[in-house]
Amino acid sequence: MRRFLALLALLAAPAWGQTVVVSPAPDSTAVTVYRAPERSSDTAMNLGWLQGYALITEKRTVSIPKGRATVRFEGVAAGLFPESAIISGLPAGVREKNMDADLLSPATLYARGFGRPVLLRRLHPKSGKERLERAVIRSGPDGSAILQTADGFEAINCSGLSESIAYPGVPADLSAKPTLSVETDSPVAAKVTLSLSYLAWGFDWQANYVLRMHEDGRKADLDAWVTLASSDSTSYPEAEAALVAGKVNREADDGARPQPTGDSLTFRCFIGPPMQVGMAIPAPPPAPMMMEAADMMVTAMRANSPMKMKAAVVVQQEALGDLKLYRVPMPTTVAANAQKQVMLAQKRGVTVTPFVQVDVYDAYVQGDAALMLRTRNRKEEGLGLPLPGGPITVFEPRGENAVLIGEGGVPDKAVGEDLDLRIGTATQLALEANETALNDKTRAVTLTASNARAQPVRLEVRIAHGSESQLLTPSAKLKRKDGRDVWAVTVPANARATLRYTLRRPS
Amino acid sequence: MRTSTQAALLCAAAALLPAALHAQSAPASAQGDVALTIYNNDLALVQDTRTMTLPKGRSRQEFPDVSANIRPETVTLSAGGAGIVEQNFDYDLLTPDKLMDKAVGQTVTLVRTNPATGAETRESATILANNGGTIVRVGDRIEVLGGYGARVVFPSLPAGLRARPTLSVTLDADAGGARPVTLNYLSRGFGWSADYVALFDDAAGKIDVQGWITLNNSSGTAFPDAKVLLVAGAVGQESPNNGYQSARPRMIGRPSGNSPGTETANRETLGDFYLYPIAGRTTVANAQQKQVSFLDVAGAPASKGYYFRNDWLGSRDEAASVDSVLRFSSSRSGGLGDALPAGTVRVYMRDARGSPQFIGENRIGHTPMGSSLALKTGEAFDVKVQPTVQKRERIMSDEWERTARYRISVDGKPPREVTIDNTKEFWRTTMTYKVTNAKATPVTVEVVQAGLDTWWGDNRVPSESLKGTQRSADERTWQVPVPANGETTLTVQFDTRY
Repeated sequence: MRRFLALLALLAAPAWGQTVVVSPAPDSTAVTVYRAPERSSDTAMNLGWLQGYALITEKRTVSIPKGRATVRFEGVAAGLFPESAIISGLPAGVREKNMDADLLSPATLYARGFGRPVLLRRLHPKSGKERLERAVIRSGPDGSAILQTADGFEAINCSGLSESIAYPGVPADLSAKPTLSVETDSPVAAKVTLSLSYLAWGFDWQANYVLRMHEDGRKADLDAWVTLASSDSTSYPEAEAALVAGKVNREADDGARPQPTGDSLTFRCFIGPPMQVGMAIPAPPPAPMMMEAADMMVTAMRANSPMKMKAAVVVQQEALGDLKLYRVPMPTTVAANAQKQVMLAQKRGVTVTPFVQVDVYDAYVQGDAALMLRTRNRKEEGLGLPLPGGPITVFEPRGENAVLIGEGGVPDKAVGEDLDLRIGTATQLALEANETALNDKTRAVTLTASNARAQPVRLEVRIAHGSESQLLTPSAKLKRKDGRDVWAVTVPANARATLRYTLRRPS
Repeated sequence: MRTSTQAALLCAAAALLPAALHAQSAPASAQGDVALTIYNNDLALVQDTRTMTLPKGRSRQEFPDVSANIRPETVTLSAGGAGIVEQNFDYDLLTPDKLMDKAVGQTVTLVRTNPATGAETRESATILANNGGTIVRVGDRIEVLGGYGARVVFPSLPAGLRARPTLSVTLDADAGGARPVTLNYLSRGFGWSADYVALFDDAAGKIDVQGWITLNNSSGTAFPDAKVLLVAGAVGQESPNNGYQSARPRMIGRPSGNSPGTETANRETLGDFYLYPIAGRTTVANAQQKQVSFLDVAGAPASKGYYFRNDWLGSRDEAASVDSVLRFSSSRSGGLGDALPAGTVRVYMRDARGSPQFIGENRIGHTPMGSSLALKTGEAFDVKVQPTVQKRERIMSDEWERTARYRISVDGKPPREVTIDNTKEFWRTTMTYKVTNAKATPVTVEVVQAGLDTWWGDNRVPSESLKGTQRSADERTWQVPVPANGETTLTVQFDTRY
C-alpha cells in the first residue's frame, strides 16, 4: 500500500490555475418562501414535489486575496437557479459568475484521463495479492476502458482478475456538486462580508384556516396557520424566514441551462456480459427529491386540532409592493426535507352567517344546494386582515368535542372583501323548479324550497336567465347582485317557501 | 528484489510513456488561440488557430479537442502555404468489441494467471475469428476464449478507431515547417440570454438595473482562455417556435406602454445585431453556465401601474386581482440608455428591514434603445376588479341602413334606382367593473375590455361612466382612479352586432 501511495504521489500534479478561495457555509441566512404559482388555494401541497420556490439571501465572510481569484460557494441550495444569483459586497465587483456542473464521476474522471498516465491495479482473487502497473488511457468512456500497458493494449476487467484504475489526482474543474463560483480581481487583499442571494426551487408554503363555530352559530373563532416546506437537501439553521403572499409572475424555465454531467463507467468486455464497475454515484439532481419521513415540526399545535390553546408566535405581516410579506419573528430552522407551521393569525368572535345557496338558470336548478358561510373581511366582522389563500376546515361544537362539518378553500382576500365560502353540500334543504307555458312567449316558473331541518334555514337562490328573455312579476322582492337576481328567504323549520315569476321572450 | 522490480517497472513505464509524462506536466488541451462567437439559438462559431508543424508534401493532420457538438460539414481550414486534400470526421469509436474484431488474424499475447499461486504464464496466440465468441490458435491448439480465463494483450491499436470523434485533414504543404493553421467551424451546444436584476424603489420612482449575460456551454468540450463574443440575435433559418410566433412578445394582451424604440445604442453592431465582447480572455468550461456583467444603471425612472383585461363580455363570480405592471424605458434620456438583449427581468423591492425581496419576473425580447417597457411582475393582492354583465338585451335600431342599391335600366326610359333597406339589430350589453383598492394609497387601474371585434361590423359605446379609449377594434380601455381603501364602479354600455 505504501508503494501504491508513493507511486500516486509521483504521478500527482496539482493543477490549480489560480487562487481558489472556498466559502464553506453562510454565516447567516434569510429564506423567503413563495407559493407554487399554479396551485389553487384549496389544493394541499404535495410534499413529494414542491413546486414553489424561495429567495435565499446568505451573508458570508470571505478572505479575498489580491489579484485574480476564484471564490467558490459551498452549501448553497441544491435547487439553485444560477442565473438568479446576485453577489454584492465584493471590493472590486464580480468579473464573472460561473455555475459548473461538470461533476466528478467515474466517467468524467476517465474521460479527463485520456492520454494520461494512471495506475492499473490488479487484485488476485484468491491470494489477494495486489499488482500495480503503470498504464495510459487510450479510449473514451463511452466504449469502456482500453489501456496501454508496458506489454501492449488491454481492455480492462476481461481477465477474471479484479482490476481497477487509480488516478493521480482530481482535475481541478470537476466538482462534487454543481458549484457556484465568482471570479474576482481585487486590488488589495481583504476580508469581506458579502451577500449572496438566489432563487431556488423545492420550497412551498400555504395558509390553513381552522374555523370553530360558537354554539349560537353566528360567531366563530378563526385560527390561521402558515405551513412552509422544503424539499431541498440543504438546511438553514437559525434563518430569518418569511413568506410572500399574492401572485408573483414567473417565466417558464426554458431549460437552456447545461445539465450536470456525471455518469458511471461501464467496463465492457469483448466477451461475457457487461460488468458494472466503479463507485455508485447519486443520480443527478433535476428530479425532485422524495420527502424522507417528513420531519414535522409544530411550533405551537397541530393545525387541525380543534382543541383550544393559546399560540405562542404569530407571523408579522408587512406590505411588499403589491404583495404581502409574512415574517417569522424569531430565527427559525428551515430544515431539509421538512415542513413547519407557524400561526398566521388568531381571531375570536368572527361574525359568520351560514346559509344555503342554489343557482337557477331560466327554470332549471343548477347543481346541488351548497352549504355556505358568509362574512366580510373587516374589523366590524372581527377580521380585517389580508387573508392569503388556503384550505379551510370548519368545526362545530358537540358537547366537549368538536365535529368537522365542512371543508373548503379561501382565495386570496384583501381587506374589505366579501367572503362566501362553500364548505359542503346541503342534504336537508331541497329546491325544485316547475314551469308551465302560459303562451308561446311566456312561461310561469315556481321555485319551491323544502326545509327538513328543525331550524329555520337562510336560503339564497341566484337566478340567471338567457339574454333573450325577461324576468317579470316575481312574487317576492328580488335583490340584484353580480348581474343576477337573488331570492333571499328564510325557510321556516320543517316548512316550505315558494317563489313565482314569469319569463317572457320579446316579440 | 522488490525494489528492483519497482525500479524496472518505472523504467519501463518511463520508456513507454514519454509523451504521457510530458502531457502530465502540461495538461492543456490541444486547442490553440480560440475565439468563440456565440449566438442566442444553440449555435457558436469557433475559430481555433493552432501552430502546427507540417511536413512538405501530403500529410494527415488530426485536430483533437474540437467541440464534441461540432457540425463537421461547416469546417473550413486555412493554413499558409498548404492546400487541403480532404477533410474527414471520424466517429468510429474504439471499444473492446471493435478492438477484438479488428484483431482477427493478428497475434496477441494471452496472459494467464494461476488461480492458486497467482503466477502468470504468457502465450502467444493468433485470433482466428470473433463471431459470438473468440476463437484463438495457441501453438497447435484451437481454443475458444472465454470465462475470463486470460488477459488478452494486443500489440497495437487498430488504425481508424478513435477514443472520441476526431477531425482529420489531409494537407499538401509547399514546404515543411511550423505555421499557424486556423480552423473555423460551427458548433451546437452553446447559447446565451440576458438576465436583468431590477431593484425597484416605489417611493422614489426609480430602478437600479444590472444586466448579466448568461452563457451556456453544453457542447461537451471546454475552451480555456478563449476570446468570447456574443451576438444578440438568432442567425439562420430555424425559428425556435416554428414561425407561428415572433420572438418578440405580442403587443395584444399586454398593458399599454410597450413600444419599440428608435435609438441606436453606443455598442458595436454587425448588421442587425449588437455585439457583446467579453473583456479579456475567459475559460468557457464544459457544462458551465457563466454570467458576465454588461449593464449597470442606477436611478433610472420607473413607475408602477395596474392592468386588468376582461377577455370577453362576461362576468366573474369573484373579483380578480389586477396585474402589477412595472414601467420603464430603455432610452438614453430618462431610461436605461442601452439596447437590451432578450432575457428575463427579475424585479426586487426592499422589505421593511431593507432586504431586497423578489416580487416577480418577466421576459423581454430583443429591445432596441428608446423602447418603453411595461412588464407584468405579478398580481396585486389588494387591488381587484369584478366585471359583471348587468344586462344584455336586444335592441332594434330606429336607424334604417341603406345596404343595397342598384339601378334598373329599361330601353328608352330613364334609369330607375332601387334601394333595399335592412334594419340593423344590436345587442346592448351593460357591464360594470367594480374596482376595489384595499391599499392605503389611491391607485389608477387600466381596465381593458377585449373581445369586442366580432367581425360583424361596427361596435358602439352609447354610454360610459368614464371616458374610454378605443385601443383597437377589439379592445377599449379606461383609466379608473380608485381612492385609498375605496372602490370605483365603471359602467359601460356596448352595442354590438352579435
